[in-house]
Amino acid sequence: MASQGLVYDGCNFFRQRLVLSTLSGKRVKIKNIRSRDDEPGLRDYEASFIRLLDKVTNGSRIEINQTGTVLFYQPGLLYGGCVEHDCNPQRSIGYYLEALLMLAPFMKTSLSATLRGVTNDPIDPTVDLLKLTAIPLMRKFGIDGEGLDLKVVKRGMAPGGGGEVMFKCPVRRTIKPVQLTDPGKIKRIRGIAYSVRVSPQMGNRIVESARSILNQFLPDIYIYTDHMKGTSSGKSPGFGLTLVAETLNGTFLSAELSSTPLGQGDPVLPEDIGINCAKQLLEEIFRGGCADSSNQSLALLLMTLGQPDVSKVLLGPLSPYTIEFLRHIRDFFQIMFKIEVVKPLEDERKGGDKTLMTCVGVGYSNINKTLK
Amino acid sequence: MDGKVKKQRKHQQKHSGPQAEKKKLKKQGPSTEEDERRRNPKAFGVQSAVRMAKTFHRAQDIKAKRHHVPLVDRTPLEPPPVVIVVMGPPKVGKTTLIRCLIKSFTRQKLGDISGPVTIVSGKKRRLTFMECTNDINTMIDLAKVADLVLMLIDASFGFEMETFEFLNICQVHGFPRIMGVLTHLDAFKNNKTLRKTKKNLKHRFWTEVYQGAKLFYLSGMVYGEYQTQEVKNLGRFISVMKFRPLVWQTSHPYVLADRMEDLTDPEKIRTEPKCDRTVSLYGYLRGTYLKNKSNIHIPGVGDYQVSDVNFLADPCPLPDAQKKRALNEKERLLYAPMAGVGGVVYDKDAVYVDLPASHVKQQQEDVRPTTELVQSLLDTHATLDAKMAASKVSLFSGSATLNPEDVEDQGRFQEETVLDPETGRSRRRVVFGDDQAQDSGSSEEEDEDEGVDQGEDEGEDEEDDISLFLKETRERDAPPQKRQKVEQTAEVPVFADSEDELEKSEDEEGSDEESSEDDEGQETEGSDNDEEDEEEEEEEEGSEEEEGSEEEQGALRWKESLQQKASEAFLRQQEAAPNLRKLVYGTVAEAADSQDEDEELGGLFRVSRPQNSKRVHADALDCSRFHPDITSSWDLQQVLDSIRDCFVTGKWEQSEDAATLLKEDDELFGDFEDLETGEVHKKQSGEDDEQAESDSDADEDEDEPQVKPDDIEQKKQRLEKKRRLKERFDSEYDDGEGTYLDDLKEEMQKQAELNRVEFEAVDDETRVQYEGFRPGMYVRLEISALPCEFVTNFDPHYPIILGGLSSSEGNVGYLQMRLKKHRWYQRILKTRDPLILSLGWRRFQTIPLYHIEDHNGRHRLLKYTPQHMHCGASIWGPITPQGTGFLALQSVAGIKANFRIAATGVILDVDKSVTIVKKLKLLGYPYKIFKNTCFIKGMFNTVLEVAKFEGASIRSVSGVRGQIKKALSTPTGAYRATFEDRLLMSDIVFLRSWYPVTVPQLYNPVTSLLLPVGQKDGWAGMRTLGQLKFELGIRNKPNTDSLYKPVTRAPRRFNPLHIPKDLQKALPFKSKPKQQQPKGKTPRDLQRPSVIREPHERKVIALLQALGTVHNYKTKKAKTAKHAKHKEFLQQKNQQEEAKAKRQRELRKKLYRAMGQAEKKSARSSLKGASED
Repeated sequence: MASQGLVYDGCNFFRQRLVLSTLSGKRVKIKNIRSRDDEPGLRDYEASFIRLLDKVTNGSRIEINQTGTVLFYQPGLLYGGCVEHDCNPQRSIGYYLEALLMLAPFMKTSLSATLRGVTNDPIDPTVDLLKLTAIPLMRKFGIDGEGLDLKVVKRGMAPGGGGEVMFKCPVRRTIKPVQLTDPGKIKRIRGIAYSVRVSPQMGNRIVESARSILNQFLPDIYIYTDHMKGTSSGKSPGFGLTLVAETLNGTFLSAELSSTPLGQGDPVLPEDIGINCAKQLLEEIFRGGCADSSNQSLALLLMTLGQPDVSKVLLGPLSPYTIEFLRHIRDFFQIMFKIEVVKPLEDERKGGDKTLMTCVGVGYSNINKTLK
Repeated sequence: MDGKVKKQRKHQQKHSGPQAEKKKLKKQGPSTEEDERRRNPKAFGVQSAVRMAKTFHRAQDIKAKRHHVPLVDRTPLEPPPVVIVVMGPPKVGKTTLIRCLIKSFTRQKLGDISGPVTIVSGKKRRLTFMECTNDINTMIDLAKVADLVLMLIDASFGFEMETFEFLNICQVHGFPRIMGVLTHLDAFKNNKTLRKTKKNLKHRFWTEVYQGAKLFYLSGMVYGEYQTQEVKNLGRFISVMKFRPLVWQTSHPYVLADRMEDLTDPEKIRTEPKCDRTVSLYGYLRGTYLKNKSNIHIPGVGDYQVSDVNFLADPCPLPDAQKKRALNEKERLLYAPMAGVGGVVYDKDAVYVDLPASHVKQQQEDVRPTTELVQSLLDTHATLDAKMAASKVSLFSGSATLNPEDVEDQGRFQEETVLDPETGRSRRRVVFGDDQAQDSGSSEEEDEDEGVDQGEDEGEDEEDDISLFLKETRERDAPPQKRQKVEQTAEVPVFADSEDELEKSEDEEGSDEESSEDDEGQETEGSDNDEEDEEEEEEEEGSEEEEGSEEEQGALRWKESLQQKASEAFLRQQEAAPNLRKLVYGTVAEAADSQDEDEELGGLFRVSRPQNSKRVHADALDCSRFHPDITSSWDLQQVLDSIRDCFVTGKWEQSEDAATLLKEDDELFGDFEDLETGEVHKKQSGEDDEQAESDSDADEDEDEPQVKPDDIEQKKQRLEKKRRLKERFDSEYDDGEGTYLDDLKEEMQKQAELNRVEFEAVDDETRVQYEGFRPGMYVRLEISALPCEFVTNFDPHYPIILGGLSSSEGNVGYLQMRLKKHRWYQRILKTRDPLILSLGWRRFQTIPLYHIEDHNGRHRLLKYTPQHMHCGASIWGPITPQGTGFLALQSVAGIKANFRIAATGVILDVDKSVTIVKKLKLLGYPYKIFKNTCFIKGMFNTVLEVAKFEGASIRSVSGVRGQIKKALSTPTGAYRATFEDRLLMSDIVFLRSWYPVTVPQLYNPVTSLLLPVGQKDGWAGMRTLGQLKFELGIRNKPNTDSLYKPVTRAPRRFNPLHIPKDLQKALPFKSKPKQQQPKGKTPRDLQRPSVIREPHERKVIALLQALGTVHNYKTKKAKTAKHAKHKEFLQQKNQQEEAKAKRQRELRKKLYRAMGQAEKKSARSSLKGASED
């Protein structure tokens, strides 16, 4: 057949490429993966990600050369169903979950995945953050109902892991076009201060400090302290905070910070985490938009895969990851976004410039879903 | 009839009298339902709640059934021409009809009609006519792109198989509009038979299409053409017809190519005649948006990737919007490059359509669109040249490329840019080498043409050709010394795949941008400034990052200067507005430069750097987090204030603020009185208005320009208020009507409006990049590596369709579908017999496996399709969305008498694996039988096999069930099994199991377009086993054991029944064996002679007989009389008896009464006595 593959260099944006390849059905070849590195080739977590991708698809072909520096991926069809995966603890579950969130609505049968590994680490968006921001974002695109659910069964902090997450997602044949141009005003701030295998007092200290910053803006702040014990507390100690600001129009902006993993860098005070996380939330609010910075790519993907209608989403400044994602979308789907910078009015105090992303969907329909 | 028609008297209406009264009453309002209800309330009362619920439910059901799922209206503003496929069996008058229609629309006569013919039929409609030959391949292809099918039927002959086949094809692929046209009606001499035939044909047609489908009659020919009036009527029907959106057509872009050019280098063709060709195809884009570089399928050829798409000026444009009813002569355009309109001249980049001498006046007027076309083509031609110039060759893989300029004497002609001093626009003159002498003549003509065009352009507006215009403007903007480079960059499409800007390191980027700024001469000054800003910003960011790291080390201690700096930087960041589009998508020129930048050693080898900074970025950590770097500044009040309004506690917009909203409500509803308190609320708006007015007055006094925005503001507010009021009213008024469906429809309409408006203002060049090429555009698609047969065997009578494929439709996989053998197909279909499927755009041969789903969801293989039932089928084929219909044929070659469509169906599922199983019975034989336990051999070969089946249930032929227990050591493969009953040695034991079947991976596209001209309907693919055997004369040798032999049965003999003597004795006579012989014939000696009487004796006997008869009669009579008498007697007796009985009864009654009274009396007396006691 005529569909030619795409060739990329380097291991950066590895997930984007594989996810978009799976959705578009175009094969992809990634060359020079850490070819100049002391340890060339794919890392364990990338291999684990490929394995997860293999579990949710049927008939995909993956070829990796001897040194692991070249990867060829011919996507199969998204199958779904019950999937269990032990994620590599080098990266947190968020790394894997971000990709699953993109793939899950387009499976043959609704996905119910159990992921085990690190739930919270400082590198990737944590499971809590995705639960609080990505899930409501997906609901806006018509992926809703009983089936959509993300549950943290066990919490596992960075080096050791031992956490468990249940993710369920229904399948959709088509995605609705959206017009998310007004984020609305923030009505409440919620958060989770989690702590495992440390003193339960840590949570309270985080909450206290975070409130001290946020109370200047809003009285409606509630931060849950989530202290897990016993088997559901994973293998390593740690604590952290996830904050979410909810607006009147149902936009969720979030920030998070967690303690440095055991034995990696200096230990941090819970107060610092509280204060810095609150500041990060303010920063996120300053950036603004209808999807927070870590979910920009998800929103853009769902816009791309919509009906051939105009979709609009107002975002904050584009992150480098999103910019690369836009380029990849153009490679895989030939979709280009109209990017307009929206400047705030003179007397408005609503943070920085926003970007208004407009596109016409490709008219993607879920070919995997069975017709009865 | 004649001029003096009697004027009829007008009806005089009565104004008074009882009639008028009655009428007035009627007009006032006929007795409404309301009235009746009031008059007779019982009749309208609820009799039964259940029934009422039922009727209501039913009414709602019927109402809901009428609804369709609302769809977003995606029809483009300027729709592409309507495709009208004229179809019918041979010699029915297809070409004549097209010719007549074209003549009636455009007043032009076409000779040979081949390929699509596009005409402008009205102010808002264009039509493309396409004739459909009787090749089933053509029929299938055209049914997929048709909007309207004119189905010609020879009335003198009746329906032919093609008609029904085509109807079935249409049905499968979405059923476009179909209009029947009856021709050859002049063959009927008898009026009655004509009427009868018409009626018969009409009703048959209706059953196939739908009740009341339009069937048109073309009654006769006049000078080899249909009657003008009838053709005109047909044309009217066509031009007002509405078309239904078909699912496949609206979800896929497609082009019915009306022009084909071979772009391959002639030199290459000369040296290598069979080389792959690069071809450009032209046509109107239909369906949905087409993306550049997307995959397409050309039915009859195969799958290709479009190497380039660009849109051209419309060769057959709609007239400009004018308020007049009819088109004038020069607006009635005709465009048919493939049809020989008085001889077509194909040039490399133009088509010259010659019109006959009688149309000279028209021709002059028609010049404009043709030149437009030429112009646009000249433009595209330049693209190709530029491309050829840009193409590079590398000697070693990964080495630097050689430019064509480097290689001497390669180019056959050179381009020379000449600056036109008047217009400031560059013109490209072609300078030829010596060996191109024979070509120079034609190219000179071309040059002349160009000159003429330019002259026209200068005179008229230049905007009619957008691409040209754009090019010019770019060139004008650029400074003269950079012209040479502009020439190149302007031609390259901006959005070809480019390297990422981000992947470059920071310092590299800086230098890059500097170098690339030369190339981007077309950019305006403003954007350059932006870029500089961007650079600055980047630098700042860098410094900030450093600061951030310092801060972290310093454990959150802040110095004054740092703080100051940070806040300033932060606030300045807001002002910088980077050109995001360029940042994200970059431009091609930059990418090319960045590639060239690699250092080269000796022109061939590149220096390998161990740690290229770009590589570092490419191998960076894959993380979606956007880490904020400037947490520090969030301590400052100023920074904190910048997001105040993001919270509900902040300031609200004018339109959303609670206070203003309240005020507006007051304005809306004015003053009202609180009934409870008796307080009267007065409207305050008057004062406000006054105040506002006075304010505005004051403003006016101050300065004029400030007032105007205020006025506008007020006007806007007023409008807003009005809108809100209307909305509220609507929502109140339509409360009952506002159903879910209405909401949905409204939503769809809003979306459609947004779709229309969003890119309206953007120019086409840019818009195409956002949306893709939109339907209605005239596009040119360049496809490389087409097989040479496509060009050499090109036949314009066959349609070339470029069907766009969505991203995953280019892949192959297993398809599961529901299939039903067509009821008119004569035979059933066999599993593993190759079948030609028409699915999506494609026609391909594949090997299906038929199966049926068992009650437990198992897919059981079938050897043949069921006769009248749906079954499943699994094939290896192109991935197609579920719900797509398909049709199957056994062969596409030639024309057969029988109906050719073998089966139809729909795609259910797409997968990369199949789960079809077939039944497998393993046989075994008992060799040792204990009570219920058996040793069985012959079923398996090893112990391991047995171990796998331990516990499996088995059965004997006689129906005894059992279970496999354990393997035996000897003989290998034998096992012990237990049964519910004792087996016999003659029993056969079997194990029922299921064996997975693999679907053969045959996907063979029907390449009918590549066949030589005249043999295009002769495509033969893989033959079925039956066909092969038939052609090779192979007959199956049946198993001799299975053959039927004549049955010879020996006559059965039975021994005589022997009954013991004792038993015989005990038996009754009836059952005793009869010893005596049956009576035989009486021997002659025992036969008695017959008596012959004398006449006297005869007389005596006769007398005696008569006497006897008399006597008999008498006795009979007496008997009846006696009988009657006796009857009477019995009656009498009965009566007496009855009377007697009655008497006795009465007597008895009397007696009993007396007795009872006596008894009562005695009882009473006894009671009395007792009471007395």
